Amino acid sequence: MDYFHFLGIYPYFSYPFFIVVNKTILHLDLDTFYVSVERLINSELKHRPLLVGGTSDRGVVAACSYETRAFGVHSGMPMKMAKELCPEAVVIRGNSASYSKHSDIVTEIIKEKVPVFEKSSIDEFYADLSGMDRFFGAYKYASELRHTIIKECGLPISFGLSINKVVSKVATNEAKPNNQLKIDFGYEKPFLAPLSIKKIPMVGDKTYQTLRNLGIRQVKTVQQMPMDVMQRVLGANGKVIWKRANGIDHTPVIPFCDRKSISTERTFDRDTIDVHKLRGVLIAMTENLAYQLRRGDKLTACIAVKIRYSDFNLYSKQLRIPYTSADHILIPKVLDLFKILYNKRMLVRLVGVRFSHLVSGNYQINLFDDTEEALSLYQAMDHVRKRFGDRSVLRASALEAKSIGRIQNPFNGQPPVVLAHRKQ
Amino acid sequence: MKFIVSSTYLLKRLQVLGGVINSNNTLPILDNFLFDLDKNQLTVSASDLETTISSVLEVESDSEGAIAVPARLLLDTVKTFPEQPLTFVVENNNTIEISSNHGKYALAYADGAEFPKAVELANPSATTIMGDILASAITKTIFAAGNDDLRPVMSGVFFQFSPESLTFVATDAHKLVKYQRTDVHASEVAEFIMPKKPLNLLKGILAGSESEVKIEYNESNAKFSFDNTELICRLIDGKYPNYEAVIPKENPNQLLISRSQILSSVRRVSIFSNKTTHQIRLKIAGAELNISAEDVDYSNKAEERLSCSYQGDDMQIGFNSRFLVEMLNNLSSDEVSLEMSLPNRAGILTPADGLDEGELVTMLVMPVMLNS
Repeated sequence: MDYFHFLGIYPYFSYPFFIVVNKTILHLDLDTFYVSVERLINSELKHRPLLVGGTSDRGVVAACSYETRAFGVHSGMPMKMAKELCPEAVVIRGNSASYSKHSDIVTEIIKEKVPVFEKSSIDEFYADLSGMDRFFGAYKYASELRHTIIKECGLPISFGLSINKVVSKVATNEAKPNNQLKIDFGYEKPFLAPLSIKKIPMVGDKTYQTLRNLGIRQVKTVQQMPMDVMQRVLGANGKVIWKRANGIDHTPVIPFCDRKSISTERTFDRDTIDVHKLRGVLIAMTENLAYQLRRGDKLTACIAVKIRYSDFNLYSKQLRIPYTSADHILIPKVLDLFKILYNKRMLVRLVGVRFSHLVSGNYQINLFDDTEEALSLYQAMDHVRKRFGDRSVLRASALEAKSIGRIQNPFNGQPPVVLAHRKQ
Repeated sequence: MKFIVSSTYLLKRLQVLGGVINSNNTLPILDNFLFDLDKNQLTVSASDLETTISSVLEVESDSEGAIAVPARLLLDTVKTFPEQPLTFVVENNNTIEISSNHGKYALAYADGAEFPKAVELANPSATTIMGDILASAITKTIFAAGNDDLRPVMSGVFFQFSPESLTFVATDAHKLVKYQRTDVHASEVAEFIMPKKPLNLLKGILAGSESEVKIEYNESNAKFSFDNTELICRLIDGKYPNYEAVIPKENPNQLLISRSQILSSVRRVSIFSNKTTHQIRLKIAGAELNISAEDVDYSNKAEERLSCSYQGDDMQIGFNSRFLVEMLNNLSSDEVSLEMSLPNRAGILTPADGLDEGELVTMLVMPVMLNS
């Protein structure tokens, strides 16, 4: 205690923790990123209601412009519904490659200007500006950075500046669109207090309902509650939410994103019971993911298959295996899992494959099971894929499943491209 | 039933036999030693159903009988005695009383008839081999045997007897060891797969032994007899993979290097390799061997350069360093030779010197598929 008093740092919250070092964390978020990129490409789209997302019956809204939000449209909503709400909106299918490209341009600028940054998704960044106050004035520096990005990329961006990631993120959301907000040191709690609990990251629809049923609407109420009560109601998450509501968050800015698993899934345009097609899709997925493993010098030790039936019930099954990245081991195992899993004789809405327990390494050749020809064939196929793209050679059984494949290398240290309607 | 036996003599035998007893048995009787007394011959047996080992002890007695004595209790007791005679007397109330110079100890016993009988080998074939040779054959091969329950044949050591030679092979599909003795012969051609556990026991008992071991075998069981001891075990059923077919015949690239040098280098470098895959990379160019490893998750990296004698094309090959260390450790020669053909084919490790007359060791190690 004496030591901290000596430093002039006092506990200022009502709880028994105190922050030893004040950090300065910046959160940057590109406003309606997909929409902004589309408008950049085609300026005719400016000031018109715009929807980006799947155009099929099953499609969902990945991004929507502020004009459409007035009609009650939000991302994650079925496209059909969005069109009904806002019939005059222009609907664009979207092109993830061009989004990645623009995201990379922004990343480059940020990388150049800040000491440590974390790309937490395709349009979101955290930067640690601790200590920069001494030279530049963090807020001034952040505004300059924001203006540089706007000038050089032509994309609107907002930021929040505070002592930690959570408060900065909330601040950004409050600042939007195309604006900035600084939360002064010590004012985190008062800033959060009047907001709806929905604004706290991690409070999704379910948690929101639970809390509303308890009569909690404002963050203020949570702040006044003891932590134990939250923990009793929401389990371990309750503790985290309580801390966040009080503006406490010690998570560091992590500059590198290490993939814990890789996965892919497919929702069909129309629910299907065609087992042959399902198997083809699973083979295509496995083949592609296995190639991603080999490209990234990774091995997997756990495979999982999931199925969502037309009644929206999700079933999944996983299996531990010895470390491998070979198609001929993974594909039969995935199909075996599918065979066990698919037992309902019901239409299938979605299938997915996921590899986890990843480690760096290469495939250990087996003395008896692997032939030299097969190994050379794999190497040649991977070589072709490296040069001409990951869909350039495939198994005939995987031909039916068109458009399964990813453009990005999942092991490049960047965060996975999260589909818009998924909550992280 | 009553007998007198020297405590250290008994302990020595019991400790050997105790190795076969599992720590948790489904059949409680297997937690016992079977004491079968016939005048001054005491046969002590232990079993785990798969393997039964028995030893004949000279004792002082003129009675007969068979009882099953709790193994743990007996071993723990006998272990504590300095050399002295122990008197075992079977009492009427189903206990056996041991008298030492210090006092008396009673333990409950079970009827010897409850103890499972060892199988009798029906029309076996037989071969004799020096105990020491058998022990070294086991030591040289057993480490390469696998642990995979799905492929039980690979969890044992393959014995291949012929009038020309005896061959012992072990593999886990990633590494393979073939140990051949051309100076020992069998009367006829025979093959069987021995499980690991009895081999480990034999290895322990026979190391440095001068006595002859008589091996009898048929399709399902094998029996090893030596000194006053007999070990009978069930064989692993199944067909051993055709290992000869996977040993590459043409290996144009040959590396000759000091064993201790490459072993210590691989050991050091592998500390910096990935903790799960233990992957290292060998780069050979000219007369230089470059050993490197990297753990990208922690930014650990190591690289060592060794001079070697090398004939062949420059090449790059990846290995699991664990396998290399195990194999190099198991050899005792000063120099080793590593023969290779392609980065996706097995490397063949052989000792370049220090072998006995008629002794042949071949070790195979499969590489990992490096991205070029």
